[in-house]
Amino acid sequence: MRAMNAVSSRSQLLDAAHAAFIQGPVSVIVASRNAEQVPDVVRGCGCRVSRDRRQVTVLIEPARASSLLDDVAGNGLIAVVFSQPSTHRTIQLKGDDARVVPVTAADRAAVRRHQQQWCADLASIGYGPAFAVAVHGGAGQLAAIRFTPTAAFQQTPGPGAGQPLRG
Amino acid sequence: MPLTVNSLRRCFEGAVPAVIATCSRDGIPNVSYISEVHYVDPKHVALSFQFFSKTRQNVLENPRATVGVIHPDTGAQYRLAVRYLRTETSGPLFECMKAKLAGIASHAGMTGVFQLRGADVYRVESVTEIYGAALESPPPPEVDVTILRECMARLSAAHDLASLLDTLLDVLADPIGLRHTMVLMHDPSGERLYTVASRGYAESGVGAEVHPGEGIIGVAAQARIPVRISHATSEFGYGRAMREDAQSRGITAGLEERIPFPGLPESQSQIAVPILAGERLLGVLYAESETPGRFGYDEEDGFMVLASHVGAVSALLEDETRSPAGDEAPGVHPPVTPAGAALRVRRYAANDSIFIGEDYLIKGVAGAILWRLLRSHVEDGRCDHTNRELRLDRSIRLPDLSENLEARLILLARRLEERCPALRIEKTGRGRFRFHVLRPVVLAEIPA
Repeated sequence: MRAMNAVSSRSQLLDAAHAAFIQGPVSVIVASRNAEQVPDVVRGCGCRVSRDRRQVTVLIEPARASSLLDDVAGNGLIAVVFSQPSTHRTIQLKGDDARVVPVTAADRAAVRRHQQQWCADLASIGYGPAFAVAVHGGAGQLAAIRFTPTAAFQQTPGPGAGQPLRG
Repeated sequence: MPLTVNSLRRCFEGAVPAVIATCSRDGIPNVSYISEVHYVDPKHVALSFQFFSKTRQNVLENPRATVGVIHPDTGAQYRLAVRYLRTETSGPLFECMKAKLAGIASHAGMTGVFQLRGADVYRVESVTEIYGAALESPPPPEVDVTILRECMARLSAAHDLASLLDTLLDVLADPIGLRHTMVLMHDPSGERLYTVASRGYAESGVGAEVHPGEGIIGVAAQARIPVRISHATSEFGYGRAMREDAQSRGITAGLEERIPFPGLPESQSQIAVPILAGERLLGVLYAESETPGRFGYDEEDGFMVLASHVGAVSALLEDETRSPAGDEAPGVHPPVTPAGAALRVRRYAANDSIFIGEDYLIKGVAGAILWRLLRSHVEDGRCDHTNRELRLDRSIRLPDLSENLEARLILLARRLEERCPALRIEKTGRGRFRFHVLRPVVLAEIPA
């Protein structure tokens, strides 16, 4: 909680570079927890950042989530890791106002674009397209979770991992 | 069939990173990548603890976590509900994970960044497949039960340690299909392992030594566990490091001569498993390949089955060699009269190292045995010997009864075959052999 408080505010946490990074060819891993404090995790298939960079929307396939959508609807808590497979560059965002919102045409377009970019990044480190597409998903029904990042951490493996994000 | 941890072992090779979601005491979720998920047993996995992270802090506060893994062949995803139990910072599990992590780090370009602080052991409470469009299942493992059965039958037929070890490397070549393999025997007194047989290298490396704890072979010996690395790593690339070390030392005639360790220059996958007879470490079986990810959990199981069978058979054969010597086998070569130019043989008493002319041959117990045989030849004209007589000879300084004399004789016989064909050890029956001296010898002793 200490680290969270250190950078916690409703102000704009993401600069333009961070916003571009999390909307780029990154793995999107979404977590929440239930009322018994049991965490859940699902692989997302895309991300959009609002024009003012104050809100982040992650897209997931509901069929892949177990209780995550219910958990988010119940407590609004969310943690999302964004990591580029080829570089290991990783950041984590957290929020406490997450909610499930309707999926738009722009969201669906973002998922299609994300799949192409992410599969290309995996191809650059030797993973075949069939494998990458199978892991990515996103062809079926989608759900959108929107939240205001209140904390952001640098999580690239190494000594700096876990530090609050600096612009 | 319900999903089990066993059925997910391919997901734990580190090819595709896993993720873990945790939750702090006050309910804040966290998600993070894990470099290594390690299969412990059907109910437990261990995760690599590398950094003092939020994940670490959270599981100490709230042990319930969820791990997501991906099958590296099919892309199928699985969710494991786990509960943190404890952290191990030394011992077999830790050593095994440390070696494997070095390979994963190398694969990920993270050598030096990924360092194992501990093996976090979790109980797996449930396993669920996540809906998705997984690809078709990969082919079944190459080491299947039918093949294992054939291999074990061939090993059981071995009549002595030398043929047992040769058969082991033969079956690994065919039907198993591994081209680069070796067996090292353990020297309990000198605390080292020495190569007695190998396949697939330009130089056999017979006699090359490894210290316990050194490299993947030394770790397998010290911790008595199987160790695997799936991607070339400088940290555990001992074969290469040792060869370079040997080269940098140059060819210096003297007491500390070493036989270069064989090994593939472009080795990508390595596996070392201990050969045990009960609690006793007999040696290590090692294989390597230029293909990354060549050895998985299934191959590890296969190696362990073969190695434990070799351990048991070799213990039986050992008992036989301790019994009185048997009759002379038919087809043994008659002794010959030495002829040709004299062979100058020097022995340094300090460590029983033997030089033929200017070339280092062998040292230690095998060196002492050779010296004893040469003196018998020169002083008494004797060529026939028994294991029992060597065992009782104090000049050989066999450390104790657990000493595997047979393995020393194999080492000596092979070293002579490669480096000094004028001297030859021929097995003439159970517990007996003939020492052939084809050229006259001149012995010189250098006192300590």
